[in-house]
Amino acid sequence: MRRDLVEAAQRGDHEAFEVLATSAGDRLYAVARLILRATDLAEDAVQEALVRAWQQLPTLRDPDRFDAWLHRLLVNACTDQGRQLRRWSRQVRPLLLDTAIADDTGAVADREQLERGFSRLKPEQRAVVVLHYYSGFSAAEVARMLGIPEGTARSRLHYATEAMRAALEADARLPAVAHDRTA
Amino acid sequence: MSTDKQVADKISGWLEAEAPMRLPDRVLRATFERTRTTRQQRGWRALLGRMHVNRLVPMGLATAAVVGAVFIGAQLFGSPGDGGVGGAPSATPSPTAQPSPSPDPSVAAPSSPADGGLPVGSSYVLISGGGVRGTVTVPAPGWFGGGGIMTRDNVDPPAGAGMITFVGEPLYVYGDPCDWSTTKPETPATTVDELVAAMAAQASRDASEPVAITVGGYAGKSITLHVPDDAVFSECDQGYFGSWGVPSESTPARYHQGPGQIDELWILDVDGVLTVIDTAYYEGTPAEHVAELRAIVESITFE
Repeated sequence: MRRDLVEAAQRGDHEAFEVLATSAGDRLYAVARLILRATDLAEDAVQEALVRAWQQLPTLRDPDRFDAWLHRLLVNACTDQGRQLRRWSRQVRPLLLDTAIADDTGAVADREQLERGFSRLKPEQRAVVVLHYYSGFSAAEVARMLGIPEGTARSRLHYATEAMRAALEADARLPAVAHDRTA
Repeated sequence: MSTDKQVADKISGWLEAEAPMRLPDRVLRATFERTRTTRQQRGWRALLGRMHVNRLVPMGLATAAVVGAVFIGAQLFGSPGDGGVGGAPSATPSPTAQPSPSPDPSVAAPSSPADGGLPVGSSYVLISGGGVRGTVTVPAPGWFGGGGIMTRDNVDPPAGAGMITFVGEPLYVYGDPCDWSTTKPETPATTVDELVAAMAAQASRDASEPVAITVGGYAGKSITLHVPDDAVFSECDQGYFGSWGVPSESTPARYHQGPGQIDELWILDVDGVLTVIDTAYYEGTPAEHVAELRAIVESITFE
């Protein structure tokens, strides 16, 4: 059924494309929001990825690879937001615990430190982290999705994971402090 | 020190908690407003995209070229030739179908050779749709195929070559290929004669006199059209010099790749299904490439 929709959309059936885009929208938005850490940029990235998907659908070789292909377009769109992201980062610190769930102090501290570690990663490293730890893709799948060598994907994942581990362990060594946040 | 699994679990849990639940509806609405008025990459561009696996195609070509259309040899069937490529066309076209050396090729993907091109001597289903299936034989290395199209490396000026097919689709032949948006007819052409007459009447095309032909055992007509050498595409509607449209696309389905392009068309009635084989090249296209186009056309067999 899904393949049928993809093939119809490839032939220019806009209604089929709307079905596909609507069903993928929430997942794409979550990935974009996690990578970019900014709601407005994530919305723009999703929109741009979907427009590119519509334009480029006839070039998709294997309709069964639609989801992976769409994620690739999304990550590229997120990367394109890099300049805006850097500008944004200078003005606004990342959203963090403004909606902190009441849980134990350790978990709250973990979140703070994970956020801090994640915010230091480059967008391409964040993409690998999100696609692996949130979307559940393997390093090999992420590599295919992003069009990078598997070794590169593994390297990015390793570096990012270690950076976040270091952030967590820094938290374990130091008492949690209230960080100045604006968002 | 945390174990790898502990770290992974913490990262996963944190991302899950941070992820937003829903994409705002307004984003999708804005997206669809854009896509409804945005054309998809079609024809040569689409095939070029599919050719990305061809690592031997020079990168500059792969990134810069609008995929060249392989133009099935109208000259082969005696259309008035003015391109000067490959010699004068046959006066009485009668392409002879050749037996296919292999039984049933893949329709979609370029295959086998390391460059991603179609294997020489293999059969290739060029025409598929509307109950019509037409197979050709690949005459030489360097041909790529996909989606009813065959090309050499590109169809761009000054020397590209390629062919594109339209099967069973209503075709709206524009009155003026440059002012196509305002000269689309109310009704499409549905017969060989209607289509040929509409093409012959197009502005600025210097159309040849239609010639009766037989291809793969089916009767039809051929006609040759030209894109004027002095055509300025940027001055045309949305930058397209387009011959005709189809219902599913808001911009021309057959748009041209540059001034001087020569289109030789074989228009057939295949058991009641209007079938168009559009071959294109330029005066600068190597003679052997035009000869290969002709060989491809000669080899067409319908099932």
